[in-house]
Amino acid sequence: MTGFPAYVARVLFTVLFVLVPILGVWTFVTADDYGWWFPQNVSTFGPKIDALFDLILWMVAFTFVLTEGALVWCVYWYSKPRTSKAVFSHGNHKLEMVWTAVPAVLLLVIAFAQMGTWAEIKFTANMGLDENGEPGQYTVEAPMMEIYASQFDWRARYPDRDGNFNGIDVVESPYDIYVPVDTPVVFHLKSRDVLHAFFVPQFRLKQDAVPGMTIPVWFNAQEVGSYDLICAELCGWGHYKMAGRVHVLPKDEYEAWLEGQREALYANGSADLAE
Amino acid sequence: MTPMSPTRATLIVAAASLGTLLGCKLEPETPELRYSLSDKVLNDPDGEEYASDSIAQDQLRGALEMLFGTPSNPGFLLTEDMLDEGFDPNFGSDELSEAEWEALIADNSDRFADDIAHIEAGEFDDVRLPREALSLLSYWEETMDEIADLEQALADAEAGGEDEDGDPLDAEGAQADLDEAIAAVKADWPEELRNYYPSLRDSSEMFRTQCIHCHGVEGGGNGPTAEYLKPLPRDYRNGIFKFTSVANKARPTRSDLFRVLARGIYTTSMPSFRRFSDAQLHGLVDYVRLLSIRGRVEILGALDYDIDSGGITMESVLTAYADEWEEWLGAGENVIAYEGDVPAPDDIVPGTNRTMIEHGRELFKDESSANCASCHGTNYRGNGPSSKERDPETGEMVQITDDWGNPIEPRDLTRGIFRFGRRPIDVFRRVHAGINGTPMPAQTTLTDAEGNRLLSDDDLWAITHFVRSLSTHEQVVATQDEEAGH
Repeated sequence: MTGFPAYVARVLFTVLFVLVPILGVWTFVTADDYGWWFPQNVSTFGPKIDALFDLILWMVAFTFVLTEGALVWCVYWYSKPRTSKAVFSHGNHKLEMVWTAVPAVLLLVIAFAQMGTWAEIKFTANMGLDENGEPGQYTVEAPMMEIYASQFDWRARYPDRDGNFNGIDVVESPYDIYVPVDTPVVFHLKSRDVLHAFFVPQFRLKQDAVPGMTIPVWFNAQEVGSYDLICAELCGWGHYKMAGRVHVLPKDEYEAWLEGQREALYANGSADLAE
Repeated sequence: MTPMSPTRATLIVAAASLGTLLGCKLEPETPELRYSLSDKVLNDPDGEEYASDSIAQDQLRGALEMLFGTPSNPGFLLTEDMLDEGFDPNFGSDELSEAEWEALIADNSDRFADDIAHIEAGEFDDVRLPREALSLLSYWEETMDEIADLEQALADAEAGGEDEDGDPLDAEGAQADLDEAIAAVKADWPEELRNYYPSLRDSSEMFRTQCIHCHGVEGGGNGPTAEYLKPLPRDYRNGIFKFTSVANKARPTRSDLFRVLARGIYTTSMPSFRRFSDAQLHGLVDYVRLLSIRGRVEILGALDYDIDSGGITMESVLTAYADEWEEWLGAGENVIAYEGDVPAPDDIVPGTNRTMIEHGRELFKDESSANCASCHGTNYRGNGPSSKERDPETGEMVQITDDWGNPIEPRDLTRGIFRFGRRPIDVFRRVHAGINGTPMPAQTTLTDAEGNRLLSDDDLWAITHFVRSLSTHEQVVATQDEEAGH
């Protein structure tokens, strides 16, 4: 039978397994150069989310390299032709204690590290606070807008001039959602049918919309621009179509836009007349 | 048979993998697609003779292909009238208003910003055009081929090549030609991209990637996902579109269709397609119009089937084509617009002492005029007595149906969901013109014995404001109180 000599196969397989951690680490190190890393962050709490990600990534990277190293060593060492008898071993109390305790401690580290960030983003008491910790223009009780998710539509509702969301002249904007820059924006997220999730990667913000629930959500966008809103919860056959666009405008432009929409409510249709 | 060596097996696997990778590019071109004839027309009980006459079907299929082309290569046949008027429906771009053009150019400039920057910097290899823009892509490839030819000519000249007569090639001239061509690309292409308007072929490609799974190849609302939807997707082929700004059951205007594409139809499966460019949406409007006219001409052609005069005649098909075009082009004259300012909900209705909302409430339940409550119910939830009818065969009460034969529920007005928009003018248009293809009537057609309209425009505004107010919290409470009092 022809083929590779055993020692060539042994080296080849070792090299193959060495490549896994090398390529794994390489993809992360160079990801940014290929545009594979996170999109730009524009929200105030974004850096804290990214820092948590980095913390966990370092933990995982360390463990990954360590275990891959052990694996490569095993591949190389135990593929050696040998004539001696195998040793039977069963159980190692100390080892088991170590591999239970170390992950437990790491989990506790993650749990404590994220508490402040979680509270800042998800606790209603912290929503809509400005950089000094003072309540901003919008609060959980008086949000800036409501966002309705439904199959397969994102729709923002802005209150009438009296701040009333049940008024006759609320403004509705499908697909395009407009918000002011550098403002703690609080909104109520609702679903009309099934589970959806409001996800704007540049805001580092993801929140499920649950039918029957009104969920307050907040963010403070620091840069003017337009950002993709996507549904991050499989919601039906058209899930992939369920997109929106969040436009962060300078404050005065936002006010002008909203006022323009309120005026446009009373258009008499002459703009649609044939020329 | 000798067992295969590992080396040989590895080689075979590698060759197969390579073949698979290369195979992606060696696939044959998509075969020419064809529109099918409508099952509904074929199964029409009145059209039995047509359904069993395969020659007539081939005649009609051929005639339609002549008028509208195929999905791979759609296009309108120009009639003499069109040529006389200088109207070419194959270029929907001609029909855009100035404001629409401005928005389109702004949108294109934004979307092609990277490509325009690359072209202006001379980095032609980095240009990435959208894959749906088939006509643009092939034009770009042509341009790049020309540049490549000039580059080759320059390289030949620099290498000391000779022409047919044995004279040395003119390197300077070749350089000048290349520079000139590159300058032309830099000057013309940014403008080309800013003014990009999809061809019908591009839009057909768009339709096949985005719309076909619900609306079907012919726009019959019968794509593979259609059966899972409620309400069902629109069948364009009979020319009826529910949500328009026009009266008299006219065809929709271009802006009506554009609005539906851009905003979606709320609480149906029709989503907003705003993530595509203005140009792409205008192109889709062109293509939907093509499908609709095609479907209508098919119906009219099949209706004219007469075995004694040779089955389907080209004359009758062409007449149908001309008639249907007239319908579409005349739509704009039927747009419902209100002269003057839209009244506010709290305005007093002239000739009464009631506000718009109060007056609207009266009319809503007035059995001698609007009588909205007969279908929409006295609790406004769309369950009035006329929302059901007796099935003549079984004698059971069943939901009323629309023109497509599907059960239809009158809108629950307390939910605040208005499918064609929640502006007063949108609701006014629904009350004014009704909803095409459904039992929702045009209130302007209600007349007294002398033929005068029963409901004035003020009355229609009153109903509009009352209906819009129904979803507001205060009104719901007031309505519940009223019901409790009765």
